[in-house]
Amino acid sequence: MKETVQRRLFSLKDDLYKNPQNRRTMRFVIVIAAFIIGGLLVVAAINYYTWDEFFVRASKSLVDGLALSMLLFLMVSGFFLIFGLCDVINFAHGAFFMLGGFMGFLIYIGTEAIFLDPTLPFYLVFGANPFAMSVTAFVISAIGATAILAMIGGGIEYFTVRRLYGNPIAQILLTVGFMFIITEVAEIFWGTSVFSYFITPYSQINYFFITGILDFGGAMKFALYRIFLIFLGLAVAVFMFAAFRKTRIGLLIQAGIEDSEMVEALGTDIRRLFTLVFMLGAGLAGLSGAVLVPWIGANTGHGLTYLIFAFVIVVVGGAHYGRFEGTFFGAIIVGMSMQVTAYFVPVLENIIVFIIMAIILIIRPGGLTGE
Amino acid sequence: MKNLLEIHDAHVYIGSFYILQGISLAVPKGEVTLLLGRNGSGKTTTMKTILGLYPPKEGSIVFKGEEISNLPTHKIVNKGIGYVPDTRRIFGTLTVEQNLIVSVRKGGPKEDARERLDFIFDLFPDFKGFLKQKAGTLSGGQQQMLAVARALMNDNDLLLIDEPTEGLSPLLAKNLISALDRLKEFATILLVEQNFRAVSKLGDNYYVFDNGKIVHEGSDMEELVANKELVAQYLGVSI
Repeated sequence: MKETVQRRLFSLKDDLYKNPQNRRTMRFVIVIAAFIIGGLLVVAAINYYTWDEFFVRASKSLVDGLALSMLLFLMVSGFFLIFGLCDVINFAHGAFFMLGGFMGFLIYIGTEAIFLDPTLPFYLVFGANPFAMSVTAFVISAIGATAILAMIGGGIEYFTVRRLYGNPIAQILLTVGFMFIITEVAEIFWGTSVFSYFITPYSQINYFFITGILDFGGAMKFALYRIFLIFLGLAVAVFMFAAFRKTRIGLLIQAGIEDSEMVEALGTDIRRLFTLVFMLGAGLAGLSGAVLVPWIGANTGHGLTYLIFAFVIVVVGGAHYGRFEGTFFGAIIVGMSMQVTAYFVPVLENIIVFIIMAIILIIRPGGLTGE
Repeated sequence: MKNLLEIHDAHVYIGSFYILQGISLAVPKGEVTLLLGRNGSGKTTTMKTILGLYPPKEGSIVFKGEEISNLPTHKIVNKGIGYVPDTRRIFGTLTVEQNLIVSVRKGGPKEDARERLDFIFDLFPDFKGFLKQKAGTLSGGQQQMLAVARALMNDNDLLLIDEPTEGLSPLLAKNLISALDRLKEFATILLVEQNFRAVSKLGDNYYVFDNGKIVHEGSDMEELVANKELVAQYLGVSI
């Protein structure tokens, strides 16, 4: 039974391959069908909610979706760089992200405490100006989390992963081990995932620089921080794309993703490039984890959750074929679909990404940008 | 110092395979040395061994009077070795220009990059037109030129050139070989080539490989071409 189905499917595939005309028609039909189904869903949603409510939910899901997408993009681009250049599937990447969150949180609280200590000179500047205090503390926390995670990532590469290049099984075991170690250590300090949510550092003076709300009347309210996240993510993404195209080191990384042995044979110390990329990748995970804190919070359970998102994004975007753009599209799809379902069909929120992944793998096994 | 590069009794394993079984050769300064032999006879492995990609288990490699067999690849290359690999291995997602940029070694001569580029344009006049093009979209011949150009972006004393004419049309191959002939003036060349007739005018010395060993060596190319028995046995060309 199964074999017959399989045979039929294969023959259908061959047939479509041989007849581009039929393939085009098929594609056309699928696109039309997708539009009709999408339209029906929208109609159903409007009927289910009211038109106003639908509009509110749609715009909110757009803002939240884009904000989450950008965060995911920052995290996954680090995962992708490590995978692309060093051929290491970094299972500890989610743990880096989680740790970045706690580091961001701690550094924010710590900086705030220092700034607001009347015995220290900082008090003169920041004591009466909570906005400046909060902005500075936030910037320091983001940079600090990035730097700490970059050091951890670089250290892990330099002392352990470096010895295991060309041995994928050992690398997987090693990075899985680091994932568990980091998660367990985090749980010792901050408790298990059930009760360890550390959200927005309101702390001492109960003030955070970007708690504002963009109010369009009625239910149309958007948290400013999420809009800020969209722009922050875009800015880092643009900066990274530019750096990849314009700087020598960016070009070397790109060339190395294609053929690292050849880069070495042209006279570049590839090992140093690997360490650098590990630092960059882990740093990006730390940054995204740290800026997530004021919105979703830091939690010891994030490690595993976001690691799985990273996998889904890479597969959906086709980044495993070496396309950097793939991570961007993959992140947009995962982030948007999660937030749209969160607002419209909350029961699907946690499984929608896997449904999408399955569909994309069936239609385009290489992902969106792959072959 | 007559020899720029010397290999003494090198034994190389790739995984558990015993590939080079005691190779000794010398590359005299300013000359073109050919490595000849069938597919799988160990020519490319010899090149990669010199580069440190497959370090020898035993034996020594001396470049400019210095032992290099225990150095990592980038340090070996930085001593002045340019590598043109078989199957080109250009970076397809980068443009031609970016390919050249990443080939300039760190601390390499920046000020004369322009001059080098002019030399490359002079060597391959077609090159000017496709500097901004993605290298992956170039034709085979253009990719081969790029692979050679990459090795010319630095001050190299020794060029390792692996099967440059493979897959090229006879006319392109001829052009490329005349370009290599011009390079002789600037650098010592170690050339792997299947089509030994095409390069017989170019070569000063030759080594014939078979099964990871050197079975014949000499410096008279005409004699080699005339030696029908040897050619039929080791170079796989029947006349």
